[in-house]
Amino acid sequence: MASKRNGDQSSQDVINQLAVILRTAQIHDPGNIAVTTAIERFISLINTLLEAERSISLELRGEFLYIDGTRIRYSLEYILNLNFLIREFKKREIGNIIFKDKIKPDDLRLFLKAFITSGFSDTPYEKLLDVMKESPRIGIARLKKVKEGEAADIRKIIKKTYFNAVSYTKGVMKKIKSGEKVNIKKAKRIVETMVDQLLEDEQILLSMTAIKDYDEYTYHHSVNVSILSVALGQRVGLSKKVLTELGLAALFHDIGKIEIPYEVLNKPSNFTDDEWRIIRKHPIWGVRAILGLRGFESTTLRSSIVAFEHHMNYDFSGYPRIREYTGLDFFSRLVSLADQYDAMTSSRVYSRLSMPPDKALSIMMENAGTQLDPLLFKFFINMVGVFPVGTVVVLDTKEVGLVYESDAVFTDRPRVLIIIDRKGKRVQGPVVTLTEKDEEGEYLRSIVKTLDLNKYKINLAEYLL
Amino acid sequence: METFEDIKEAKDILQTLIKAKKTLRMYLPNNPIYAKTIEDAYARFKSFFDYRDTFVINITHNSISYDSKQIYYNPEKEDNLALFFFKDGLREITFKKGLLQEELEDFLKVIALDFDREAVDNDIVTLFWEKDFQNIKYIVDEAYLVDLDGEDYESKAEKEVKDKVSDFDELMKAYADGFKEEDVKTVSIVPVTDGDLQMLAGEMEKDSYTKVEKLAAILFEILYQSEGKVELEDTVSFLKDSIKFSMHRGDLNIVLNIIKKAEKIFEDPLLTENAKEHIKMLLLYPGTEEMIGLFAELLDSGIEWDEKVFKEFLEFLDKNAVAPLVKFLGELKTVHARKSVIEALVVLGKMDIQALARGLDDRRWFVVRNIIYILKKIGDRRAIEYLLRTVRHGDIRVRKEVIRALGELGGREVIQTLGESLDDPDVQVRVLSAKALGSSGSEAAKKIILEKISDKMFKEKEFEEKREFYEVLSKWKDTEVFDFLVRALEKKSFFGRAKNYENRTCAAFCLGLLGNKDALPILYKHKESNNKLLREFSYTAIKRIEYGQ
Repeated sequence: MASKRNGDQSSQDVINQLAVILRTAQIHDPGNIAVTTAIERFISLINTLLEAERSISLELRGEFLYIDGTRIRYSLEYILNLNFLIREFKKREIGNIIFKDKIKPDDLRLFLKAFITSGFSDTPYEKLLDVMKESPRIGIARLKKVKEGEAADIRKIIKKTYFNAVSYTKGVMKKIKSGEKVNIKKAKRIVETMVDQLLEDEQILLSMTAIKDYDEYTYHHSVNVSILSVALGQRVGLSKKVLTELGLAALFHDIGKIEIPYEVLNKPSNFTDDEWRIIRKHPIWGVRAILGLRGFESTTLRSSIVAFEHHMNYDFSGYPRIREYTGLDFFSRLVSLADQYDAMTSSRVYSRLSMPPDKALSIMMENAGTQLDPLLFKFFINMVGVFPVGTVVVLDTKEVGLVYESDAVFTDRPRVLIIIDRKGKRVQGPVVTLTEKDEEGEYLRSIVKTLDLNKYKINLAEYLL
Repeated sequence: METFEDIKEAKDILQTLIKAKKTLRMYLPNNPIYAKTIEDAYARFKSFFDYRDTFVINITHNSISYDSKQIYYNPEKEDNLALFFFKDGLREITFKKGLLQEELEDFLKVIALDFDREAVDNDIVTLFWEKDFQNIKYIVDEAYLVDLDGEDYESKAEKEVKDKVSDFDELMKAYADGFKEEDVKTVSIVPVTDGDLQMLAGEMEKDSYTKVEKLAAILFEILYQSEGKVELEDTVSFLKDSIKFSMHRGDLNIVLNIIKKAEKIFEDPLLTENAKEHIKMLLLYPGTEEMIGLFAELLDSGIEWDEKVFKEFLEFLDKNAVAPLVKFLGELKTVHARKSVIEALVVLGKMDIQALARGLDDRRWFVVRNIIYILKKIGDRRAIEYLLRTVRHGDIRVRKEVIRALGELGGREVIQTLGESLDDPDVQVRVLSAKALGSSGSEAAKKIILEKISDKMFKEKEFEEKREFYEVLSKWKDTEVFDFLVRALEKKSFFGRAKNYENRTCAAFCLGLLGNKDALPILYKHKESNNKLLREFSYTAIKRIEYGQ
């Protein structure tokens, strides 16, 4: 593809137009003008691209679609079509569609026919493959399952990124406290790596945020909020560069806490009024710390605003109280969601018991529209899933599992790591996908209820690290 | 295994990169050498990719290798390309077939940055990352990100958290409890709709404005809540930074809004007196030398501001801005910028005439002339004492300007100086001085002009100068002048007759300007003069008196 900008545009067009033909063909007869027009448009687009590329592949890897190996980023212009394609690919176990040479209308008609009929089949991929064997110009491949070894390697790399970030945050906070100079370039690099990993495989880094039993809550919380914010930012279609700004702002959102005396911050019992007064100062101290760190520049601008506003609440019922309301910054609203979620699901010094993720979500849902931005909350719940990573679930198969990865499309059907098998025996695996169906088209496993992991002292780190 | 030829080509590519790194630093993008450097580098890569798919270089502290063969080595710290990449964690760079010229240009622009000298906020890896190259990939050593003296945080944290093993009995209890009853979980799926996406797009558009004002508003809020001197000082210092940041970016409107807000809260009775003292300092900040320097720089860059905003900004400046504006007036490079600063000083200068007048001592003639012009425009008579000092300035352009200014300002103290300037070595200054005296219309001025014209040396002047003097005399339409002119017209001379005729001609011309009909008989008489010049001017004067032409 000629240039990056053209590439982005072409990816968007391919997604939109392919989704349009598939949707139209599911409703109308193949000879209907709506279908034929959509086919013509798609052929014109794909053949123009094929002139330069010879072959084009549209591949599903994990929760993302890739065109010729380049990941298609979420964008508001085609987010619904993108989700539609991912869902349809998954339903049929399609991993890849390859367009070759010059596509003719008959090739596409054949593909549409195979695609639609396979949707009703118990073995959709086989059905699709059987028909598409006849087509020399449109090839398909089955959805690949990540091999265990590969998955372990990726997890190791991502784990390293996570702990690097926590270690850096710890260092920064210590340095600021002792008045030392802080290298903000490193912070950018750390956030960039997190952004890359979230773009590549959102789930693993998100799963790192589910483990909440670390002693050094503040540092882990900062990193978790950064990861959750970037993941949410990605869902609302922010560009890579803006995601970095968001990630940095989120990483430093609680930096004002360095000013809170240790004995107050780590007090195991409830705060007194005076202590609350101190705690409520940390957004203001945050602004001072950030601006003191780097002075006034574009990165510190947003970070300072977020540090000040992250407890103010959507309806300004939080703190600090201000005289003139001008509306919360978009970043602040994003970070507030991530902050609340992570705080509620963490065991902190003054609140030793963390809340199960699904319970936290249901409370957040009640707060959407008052404390939290209701629109962004919708995207948030779609990102973490109805059963977020780390939720302990009871399955209808008499198994107990841990939500291991959420599903971008089927938010109530995540991937689950079985920790107690159907015989009641403690195990560590396998990881099952709740979207899997049996020959009759019934789901193999469904969630019956969730359990409070604190109540049963289940240590997530044992399973997720 | 690569051949000797491959290694040679790899070395050539690397040398091209080194050369490009230097060239791009030296020339502007519109320079042909700049463009040619990029084209040459791209041609090298293209030729390399004719037979290969990738060009991969491995980087160590002092060397760069291609296919395990060292193709670059430099043990020095300076100009070391390997170290340049290595220090930010880059360990391998891969250029892929399909590399676009625009990608290569972006790559070269990044490596051409002088990270030591320029205030670059990002390291090389971040800059590469932001470019999001499709055909240039790199491997980075992330160990760089963690402090070397730091602990092995990962192992420590992992051990700590894993040590808290799940309790087997509790787990089994969970299992038992889990199936006590069929508590089917009702899930709330909240699908994102088209309407949500539209709303989100709207929210994001609303959010796209610059954030400086927002942060400034927060800082004002913090100001109310600041406790103690240090907090107040810090907050005001950040507010100053917000003004400076906006001025840097040419956002005069934002600067203005921040100052307006400061002025508004200054009036707020809820604000402590101490905080008000700090606000006062903030209000003076835009007029400091630092800020006016930035303002002047922007003006020089040709920036165009909304006229209303520009004027409003000037109105907000205090007298402390006068001296810096005067200073930068002499340093500006463009006429546009100087005009704007002059305009600013016309508005502000009246607040501190003394500071403005210091510019009259500047060694650059144009600065002095500009200041005189500004003082004239301000029209404050306090300026006269300073202006009088420049009447003998070495540059005629300055002297001309000051005479004009003094003429406009008028006053008794000016007349004598203007009279003295009638003897200026330059004719233009002399004429301007005469005109200035004429403009004053005073008896003293008339006396000076009459004396000057009566001087026996006066007739030796050029005709045009004499005519100008007589024209000035016509401002006084009284008998004394009339009689003087009649006498001058009738005056005969045996010596220097030609010059005398010129004088008489000027007198005839001036009588015409006076418009007194009593002059007609004498003018008719001289209409028949032998002297052509006198004849013509007498005729013209008659017509002017009779027909007002």
